[in-house]
Amino acid sequence: MVARTPPFTGYNVLLMLRVAGAGVLAALALVASACSGNESKPAAAAQTKPATCPQSWRAGWQRLANRIHATVYCPTWMPSPLDAKMGGQWDNGTSVEKDKSYLVSFLWHEPPSQDVHVNFRGYPGRMKIPRCEDTEVVGGIVRRTHMPCFSDPHGTRRLGDITATLYTVNRGVDQWHLLYAWRDHGSLYAVSEHVIKPLTYRRVSSNLDRLVRGLVAVKPTT
Amino acid sequence: MKLTRKELLVGGAAGAALGAAGIYELVDKLADSPPSRSAAGREPEQHLVDGLRVEKQEGVEVVVPLRHHQVVTAKVVVPQDQLREARADLAAVLTKLDSDYPATPDGLGITVAWGLPYFRTHVPDAADKHLPFDRRAKRGALIDAIRFPSDPDDTLLEDNDVAFLLRSDNEEHIRTAATEIFDRLEGALAMTSIRKGFAGQMDGGMGLPKEMATAAGVPGADLIPDGAELFLGFTSTQQNALGPPKIVNFETLGLVDLGPRSYFHGGTHMHLSHIFEDLEAWYLNQDFRDRVNTTFRPKMPVRPGTQTVAQPPSRVSSESEVRRDYDRFGIIGHSSSLQPASRLQDDIRGSDGTLYRKGTAIPQRADFNTLDNPFFWSADPKRDRMGEGPAAGLHFVVFNPTSDDFHRNRLAMDGHMPNGEKLRFAPRAAGQGFNSILKTTHRQNFLVPPRAHRSFPLVELT
Repeated sequence: MVARTPPFTGYNVLLMLRVAGAGVLAALALVASACSGNESKPAAAAQTKPATCPQSWRAGWQRLANRIHATVYCPTWMPSPLDAKMGGQWDNGTSVEKDKSYLVSFLWHEPPSQDVHVNFRGYPGRMKIPRCEDTEVVGGIVRRTHMPCFSDPHGTRRLGDITATLYTVNRGVDQWHLLYAWRDHGSLYAVSEHVIKPLTYRRVSSNLDRLVRGLVAVKPTT
Repeated sequence: MKLTRKELLVGGAAGAALGAAGIYELVDKLADSPPSRSAAGREPEQHLVDGLRVEKQEGVEVVVPLRHHQVVTAKVVVPQDQLREARADLAAVLTKLDSDYPATPDGLGITVAWGLPYFRTHVPDAADKHLPFDRRAKRGALIDAIRFPSDPDDTLLEDNDVAFLLRSDNEEHIRTAATEIFDRLEGALAMTSIRKGFAGQMDGGMGLPKEMATAAGVPGADLIPDGAELFLGFTSTQQNALGPPKIVNFETLGLVDLGPRSYFHGGTHMHLSHIFEDLEAWYLNQDFRDRVNTTFRPKMPVRPGTQTVAQPPSRVSSESEVRRDYDRFGIIGHSSSLQPASRLQDDIRGSDGTLYRKGTAIPQRADFNTLDNPFFWSADPKRDRMGEGPAAGLHFVVFNPTSDDFHRNRLAMDGHMPNGEKLRFAPRAAGQGFNSILKTTHRQNFLVPPRAHRSFPLVELT
C-alpha cells in the first residue's frame, strides 16, 4: 500500500534565497515605494519641502495653536490617503484637555481591519511622558495600573529640525502605533502611526521619518 | 518587497518535500559554521542528544540549542500481517543512520515517538499489557492530548501513529535521514506532515530568529531583539530550566508503573504542538517590563535589554508566591506559574541513583521556532488549515515522564495550580503569561520507547 502524495506546499528555496540576498534592494524598494506614489496632495505637488504648513491645512492648525496659546506642529506630508486638514474627510477628531494638551487624529478605515491612522499630540509646558491608565478585569476584580503612555524607546534620531525618540510600545489611542516624541521649548510633542494592514512596521517607520522631517512649527497669533 | 504566494510555494510530492529545505536552507546561509563536537556512545534514551555545548550568556549557563529541527508525522498503512517486516525495515534504517551519524549536534539526533492510535489499532492487546501506567494520575502514562483553557476551540487534536523528531546542526543530515527512512518504509508509512524550524545559537550578530523572520517578511520581525535565541526575545535553554538527562525517563521519578516486563524502561513521553506567535502584539503592545512580567514573574528585577535570565532552583516560585502575584498584580508569569508543577518540590533520589534536588526542572524542552504555516507540508492541507506564506510560530516539543505530567505543567500556565486551585483568567488574558499572543493549532501526545524498541514497539509480542 503506497501513500498518495498530495501537493507540496513548502517554500521556494531559490526564491527565498534570492529575496534574502536582495534584502538590501528590497528594503530600498520599500523605502522608495513609501516615498513615491503614496503622497497626499500638498506635498506631492511640491517636490521640495514647503517651508510652511500647506495652505489648505493651515487654518485648522493655526486655530489649534491660538486655542492653546502654544506652538503646534503641522505636517507637510501625510501617508496616503490621509491629509491633515482638520474638518476634512479624514479628520478623526481634535481634543484639547484642560491642561491644553491636545490630540489631533486622522484616520482612513477600510472594513474589516485596514487602517491608516496618524495621531499628533502636544503637551504645552510639560516635558515628562504622560502616564496612561490600563484597566483590566481579572478574576472579577477591576485592576487599574498606571504606566508611561510611551515606552520601549528604540533610539533617538535627527529628522530635519527635530531630534525625536522612537517609542514602539504606546498606550491609549496610540496603542499598536509607532511614535516619535520630542521636546521643544519646554513642551513635549508626539506623532504616531498605527502598524496595521495594509502597512508594515517598516512602512510605518519610514512614513513617520518622512512625516516628522516635514513638520513645521505653527505659532499662536492671538 | 513582499513575497507572493507563488514565490513562497513550490509544487511537488511528499517525497520532494522531505528532501527540500525550503526557506530553512537560509539557516545555514545566515549562521556561522557550527563548531565540531565530539561523538559519544548511544544511550537507551532516544530523547537525548550527546555533546550539547553549555555556554555562559549574560552570566547564565545556557545549553546551546541545535540549529535545525524537523518533525515528520505519519500513519501506519502497512497491512497487519506485514507489521513485522515493516518493523525490521525501520530498525535497519535507524541502525544504519546511527552508524552514519553520531548522536551529537554535528551528527544527528533521531527520536521516534508513537501515538495512541498506533497502540490502539495495531498492537492493542500488547499495549493493554505493557504500556506504562501513571501511578499519580491513575491512568495510562500516554493519554490523548487535550485542549487547554487558553487553547482556541479549533485546536486540532491529532491522531498520528508516529512522529520522527530529527535534530542536527547540519540540515543535510536531517534531509538525508528523513528521505532514507521514508524511502525504506514506502508502503508502510504514509506521511501526514512535515514540520521544520530552527533555533538561534546566540553566536553574535542579529541572530537566526530575527534574520529568518526578517527574510520571510513576518510582521513584527524588525522588533525581535538582535541576538535572541527565539522570536520572543528571551533565552529559554538556561541549563537550570531544563531537566537533567534522565529525569524524564518513565522510571526515574517513580511516577510510572512499567508493567510486567518493563518493556518501556528508558523511554519517556513527548508532547508535540504547533503554536502561532503574534510578534507584533508581543513587541508593540508589551514593553520590556511587561514582557519580563509575563515571561518570568511580575516585578522580577531584570536589567532592560536582558535576554538571558537566570532560573536557578533557589529562585523557583511556589504556589503561594504565584497566588500572591495574582492577587497583587492580576498577573502570573509564564515561568513562575509553571514552576510549582514543573520543578521538583522535594529532593528525590531517582531510580538511576541520582539525587535530584528540590527545585530541579523536570521537563526537557526541545522546542524550536518555525516559519511553517502551520506546517512545512501537509497531506491534508484543508484539515491542517495550511496558510499562505510564512508565519512566526513555535513547534513545541517537550519530554515529560507522562502525559499527565505535561498536562499539569500546561494547566499551571493557564492558572490551574497543582493543588487544584484555579486562578480565574479570561482565556488568553494579558495577565496569563504568554497566552495572549499564542495560538495553538495542533496537539498530540506520544510515547518515546527506549532505543531497543523504537521500531514498531510491541509488534514482536503480538
